[in-house]
Amino acid sequence: MIRTEEMLLNVGPQHPSTHGVFRLVVKIDGEIIKEATPVIGYLHRGTEKLAEDLQYTQIIPYTDRMDYLSAMTNNYVICHAVETMMGLEIPERAEYLRVLAMELGRVASHLVWWGTYLLDIGAVSPFLYAFREREMIINLLNELSGARLTFNYMRVGGVKWDAPEGWIDKVREFVPYMRQQLEGYHRLVTGNEIFMKRVKGIGTYTKEEAINYSLSGANLRCTGVNWDLRKDEPYSIYDRFSFDTVVRTGGDAWARYECRMQEIVESLKIIEQAAAQFPAEGSIMAKVPKIIKAPKGEAYVRIESPRGEIGCYIASEGKKEPYRLKFRRPSFYNLQILPKLLKGENMANLITILGAIDIVLGEVDG
Amino acid sequence: MVQELLASPPGLMNFAIFFLLAAILLMVILGFVTYAILAERKVMGFMQLRHGPNQVGGRWGLLQTVADVLKLLIKEDTIPKLADRPLFILAPVIAFAPAFLVLAVIPFTDKLQFADIGVGLLYYIAISGISTVGVVTGGWASNNKYALLGGMRAAAQMISYEIPLVMSLLGVILLSGSLNLNDIVSAQSHGWFIIKQPIAFIIFIIASIAELNRTPFDLPEAESELVAGFHVEYSGFRWAFFMLSEYVYLFAMAALTTVLFLGGWGALPFLGFIPGAVWFSLKFSLIVFILIWVRVTLPRLRADQLMEFGWKVLLPAALANIFLTAILKELF
Amino acid sequence: MIGLAKGFSYTLKNLTRKKVTYDYPNEPLPLPDRFRGIQKFYPEKCIVCNQCSNICPTDCIQLTGKKHPDPSKKGKIIDTYDINFEICILCDLCTEVCPTEAIIMTNNFELAEYSRDQLFKDLVWLDENDEHIRRVNKP
Repeated sequence: MIRTEEMLLNVGPQHPSTHGVFRLVVKIDGEIIKEATPVIGYLHRGTEKLAEDLQYTQIIPYTDRMDYLSAMTNNYVICHAVETMMGLEIPERAEYLRVLAMELGRVASHLVWWGTYLLDIGAVSPFLYAFREREMIINLLNELSGARLTFNYMRVGGVKWDAPEGWIDKVREFVPYMRQQLEGYHRLVTGNEIFMKRVKGIGTYTKEEAINYSLSGANLRCTGVNWDLRKDEPYSIYDRFSFDTVVRTGGDAWARYECRMQEIVESLKIIEQAAAQFPAEGSIMAKVPKIIKAPKGEAYVRIESPRGEIGCYIASEGKKEPYRLKFRRPSFYNLQILPKLLKGENMANLITILGAIDIVLGEVDG
Repeated sequence: MVQELLASPPGLMNFAIFFLLAAILLMVILGFVTYAILAERKVMGFMQLRHGPNQVGGRWGLLQTVADVLKLLIKEDTIPKLADRPLFILAPVIAFAPAFLVLAVIPFTDKLQFADIGVGLLYYIAISGISTVGVVTGGWASNNKYALLGGMRAAAQMISYEIPLVMSLLGVILLSGSLNLNDIVSAQSHGWFIIKQPIAFIIFIIASIAELNRTPFDLPEAESELVAGFHVEYSGFRWAFFMLSEYVYLFAMAALTTVLFLGGWGALPFLGFIPGAVWFSLKFSLIVFILIWVRVTLPRLRADQLMEFGWKVLLPAALANIFLTAILKELF
Repeated sequence: MIGLAKGFSYTLKNLTRKKVTYDYPNEPLPLPDRFRGIQKFYPEKCIVCNQCSNICPTDCIQLTGKKHPDPSKKGKIIDTYDINFEICILCDLCTEVCPTEAIIMTNNFELAEYSRDQLFKDLVWLDENDEHIRRVNKP
């Protein structure tokens, strides 16, 4: 009689495919996962608590370090929250710069996801192709803000820098180039039979489950829920652009892959339109007092980050620091469905499923 | 020359000659491995829009692998406390020795071959199967769960792919009527087996990649799933031995493919003035390039898909190929 | 099979494409003027207003002033000025608030040191850090 035994395997915190210091305790029988328990908090820095002692301007560099792959959206959400409380009117030019920066960030973020996801699945090259294009975006944002990842670009009431000379033209040139490269990506990966076999039908969940687990972003839209805050609750100037919400109905890793790839295309559309409509001149900063004080009260704003719905709640006592600050960090919420998805899958699918959720550990742990 | 030596009575002189020859071959192999690794990194780099190694040893990084190996040799030899010590030490040896053994039967040119035995092909297949034992041993002895999973995967994979590999070769054997590699090469003087046996060739290439544990079949060491699979606890020169056996197998497999399907040292028509060794190395390099190219392009298969593919696709295809070959041979 | 073939042709085509890597330590990276590197400090411009140290989100700037040696002049001059680069996140807020542009970002970013102590930069070091200074400091 053969006796089999379940074993406890620690995936992470040091593991190449957990995308950071994420630990997953899995109970496996052979290669089949019986139970998976995520353990998080290895990168917890207490951003929300720290923020209670910081002025609003000082919080912005901290948000850069939450979702470090698309710091611009994080910058925006905190600024947007404070602006909402103060009732500020943002100059048009600043709004355009913000949208351009955010959408470029979204493309960069999805590129990183694409490259690392394929790396998880075992293909080495896509990673380097994706980083070639990401490098161009990062250089663009570097020119704009002076940093490659931690931009600290937006300020309450506007943005720090105006677009440098010729920057808008560079962005315009980038859009067709990126479209052409995307075609190459699809040739290399999307049609690949091995890849399709690896992701199709893996990690499937339904619409209802996705909503009950409060998933957002591509993780939600892959189940057929048409929900994109840029479209359904337009913030900034997103109502001025024509783009589509990308929706797939499969609910599996393949649908998520398709969603993200198509979202790059939609983001490029927005970038193209924003670059075309970019106002020739204007101020980049609203009239704000030297020391920013949000009025007494509270506000919650939410925007669409590459990973999903990022929200910011501020409770203010009318001082220059917030009384309480809370971020709804999409990676953290999206991760909650993981134990359910992993049950009964095998080890190789663990990586496929975890990768498809697209987490950033800086954001999960806050 | 070797044949006479093999037949001559044993003696110290004989031993010395064989030892010397083997040492020379080992040096050649090590030289190949050094530059195969470099070539792999260079080709991968170029395909990925990078330069690859270009610091140690000039613009082409010619000494990069030498430096790497040197580093591995002087590294601390760590053996986990709870590892099965004797097996842990033995595993790299078991993995490497067969890789070197199989080279004895490969005819590089009509003159350069170490042992021209009648069942050369069978010998190759049989001996190369032993390496799996080394891999499984290493995985087990490490007392690491990742290593164990990697070892198990390796065992399952090698067993599943050995069968289609052998089955695909039966077509070649049917046509040449011999298991002797020299005879197989001479049977190809009027047309390489890649033309006469295209199905067998495709099956053989796929199965050989699986045997070599290379992408898309690199499950035993799946970097992103099992961290490094069976050799996760190995470091320094023991790890180097696993790597070495992997690349020696690459050498052996590419050489075998050349011999079996590309006519060995045989020249293309009207180009007979080019020596056989050149032809062999050209064909051989082509195979190595294809193996690297596959690695750059493809993602990894999943364990169950791998099994399914091996048993449900490759094996039936190989069997069908045998029947087809037999029928065709009977008719013409 | 077609998908696989397309992938193979894609990687093969890339074999001869232009390489995109930087030859970094041999050639300095091209960085935009706005790049935020290690600060340059002008002691003579500083009016010891403490704004930089107040705005710093990580509290990495420590400064002290002393009375102006010329008794006829009012105000203070800088005495010590230290930035702890163990915790500085190069967020650019100090240069943003400085009323006299006494502290300015440079393009130097190579901060690697063998000891943590060496990351503690004082007034003299920051004053001597005078290469690649940002040309346009305020928008």
